[in-house]
Amino acid sequence: MLLTFLDHQWKAFWRSKNKGGTIAAQIFMGFMVLYLLSIAIFLGFMLAELIPKFLPGRDIMLVFNGLILYYFALDFIMRMQLQDLPTLSILPYLHLNIPRKKIVGFLNVRALFTAFNLFPLILFLPFCSTTVVHVYGSLTGIMYGLSVIGLCIFNNYFVLFIKRLTTNNVFLIFAVMAVVAAVALMDYLKLFAISAVSNAVFLFIARKNPFAALAFPVLATVAFLVNAHYLRSRLYTEELSSGEEKKASTDYPFLDRFGETGTLIALELKLIFRHKRPRSAIIMSLVFIFYGFLFYKRDLLDNDSFGMMIFAATFMTGSVISIYGQFMFGWQGSHFDGLLVNKTNLRNFIKAKFLMFTLFATFITLIVSLYGFLSWKTLAVQFAAYLYNIGFGTVVILYFATRNYKAIDLSKSSGFNYQGVGASQFVLLLPYFLIPYLFYFPFAIAGLPYWGLASIGAAGLIGLVTRSYWVEFILKEFNKRKYRIAAGFRELS
Amino acid sequence: MILEITNLKKIYGGKTVVDIPSLNIGEGETIGLVGNNGAGKTTLFRMMLDLIRPDSGEVLSRGINVSSNDQWKNYTASYLDEGFLIDYLTAEEYFIFIGGLHNFSVAHVTDYLKQYEEFFNGEILNKGKYIRDFSKGNQNKIGIAAGLMQNPDLMVLDEPFANLDPTTQIRLKAMVKSLKTDRNMATLISSHDLNHVTDVCDRIILLERGLVIKDFMKDENTLKELEEYFSE
Repeated sequence: MLLTFLDHQWKAFWRSKNKGGTIAAQIFMGFMVLYLLSIAIFLGFMLAELIPKFLPGRDIMLVFNGLILYYFALDFIMRMQLQDLPTLSILPYLHLNIPRKKIVGFLNVRALFTAFNLFPLILFLPFCSTTVVHVYGSLTGIMYGLSVIGLCIFNNYFVLFIKRLTTNNVFLIFAVMAVVAAVALMDYLKLFAISAVSNAVFLFIARKNPFAALAFPVLATVAFLVNAHYLRSRLYTEELSSGEEKKASTDYPFLDRFGETGTLIALELKLIFRHKRPRSAIIMSLVFIFYGFLFYKRDLLDNDSFGMMIFAATFMTGSVISIYGQFMFGWQGSHFDGLLVNKTNLRNFIKAKFLMFTLFATFITLIVSLYGFLSWKTLAVQFAAYLYNIGFGTVVILYFATRNYKAIDLSKSSGFNYQGVGASQFVLLLPYFLIPYLFYFPFAIAGLPYWGLASIGAAGLIGLVTRSYWVEFILKEFNKRKYRIAAGFRELS
Repeated sequence: MILEITNLKKIYGGKTVVDIPSLNIGEGETIGLVGNNGAGKTTLFRMMLDLIRPDSGEVLSRGINVSSNDQWKNYTASYLDEGFLIDYLTAEEYFIFIGGLHNFSVAHVTDYLKQYEEFFNGEILNKGKYIRDFSKGNQNKIGIAAGLMQNPDLMVLDEPFANLDPTTQIRLKAMVKSLKTDRNMATLISSHDLNHVTDVCDRIILLERGLVIKDFMKDENTLKELEEYFSE
């Protein structure tokens, strides 16, 4: 039975209507995965030699022990963003003589087939089976292996469980993010180090009691069971009767003051909140606010070398602009004809996009201002990036939006979903992220990093002040190609 | 003239889909467009609504080219397919949105919808459903009602009878007729159902492979003529 399901899924993938356009994207993804896998294999087998090389004088086992939980903490964040809920359109199967257990079982087994489960195994198991066995003996080696597998499976099902919960309750994601942020902050400020905890746990396993490692497989089993139970109890409500609950009409009175522009923003906000894919695109962009912990390094801050930080700041403050905006106007593909034919003022339509981006960027900039606690310099970088985003970046994104002819299928989730991705998405991110450096580098090379930041900000400010010109510019571009855009969108829907 | 078409041509992949040297539609006319699949009905409608750029020729609405100016949107309403609906809104939200584009207040829209209670047959309003969860027939009703709400002088409908239940079909026909006499509304209807078209329209245009084959006023023999034409 499981094989039949897998077979159906395989066919569904290859026979899907919009496969043709995405095959290039699939191949590209395939190469990326192969590349990363080969790096992982290389690292996995060379770890014993690489650690002494890069961290001379440190005990290999200490470094390795510290690494394990750290890896899985990052793994957790990555999975939260990218791992997909396994879906099988179960409607055609529910009325057949197939026990529900089997359907749930399939969804659970299917969930294991993801590259996220392959990487840690390739990365850690070779080291466990060589160096660990060599140092602590084969029993400990096996226990290390079990811990890694257990952690991997635990992460797998734990993330899926959280994701399932969040499909019913969007606010939960903020709670999870708050916890992640708290842990990341404490780790950054050295109040509490994940690597130290990891070290303590695995030293205990190695020196005191190897069988303590069994706790990880037990945790994994618990996560699996909780997940399976949840799934079994929701098999009706989640998939079948989602239309049963009463849908209410909503208003955003705050937007009324913007007139028709506000109405159009309200329309798009509803689009975002009522569909999976745009919703997860927005959530994904919110998760990127943690980038600061990776890029705002103490020594970089002290030396005023803002190069990498500008990238992080641009990405964070403009995450919605780049992640959601890159598919514009494809989100509205299914009702694009309706927008054109009705008495929508297209100038207001463009204005609404500008204003919505500005609102989102402002909101996120306010949140990431908390990085100011690390150093006031982050605020300067972020403010420059914010001005660039709302003044300059939005124009870049909307310009490319007028060249995007692919509609988005709103019902699908966004992680690793390449439906609707065309060349324009790959092209547009380059200028978007490179332009700030055009302003920054001349000054940075001259030894005036703060002038560099100021020039980025000034460029954004100029764009902001001359916005009405840019609205007309985008409108002109839009009118040039609106027939082609509409025709492209019609193809899918 | 509410619509004037001159030398209109659309070619897809070397095949001429629409080729109309001249066609005029007067204020208050009710016109039925008939023709088999691939006759070019929907393509013609899309060019009238400035959704497709013609390869040559132009569509003038009250003397102004529809692609040069949005003026025509003030008095033209249309419903071709579900792509015209914003399907993640509730029916009420959609009506309010469309009404808002014409500066109708929420109260105005609610008031307007009252007269369509019969047409909706209790299936549209206060259902707590997004438009995408309605059946196709009910989606049709929403699209048509949203169009009529705009008090148009020209209404363009593509296969409006296709998914409607018999009761609603009859009510729609009555509405089109009464709007013609009360408000002098012009209507363009395409349909595969010859009975309905001959019943409601006073002028019939027969399209085949993009060409206007016949264009005549309805009389008592029209239905028979059309049936004979299509059974050949």
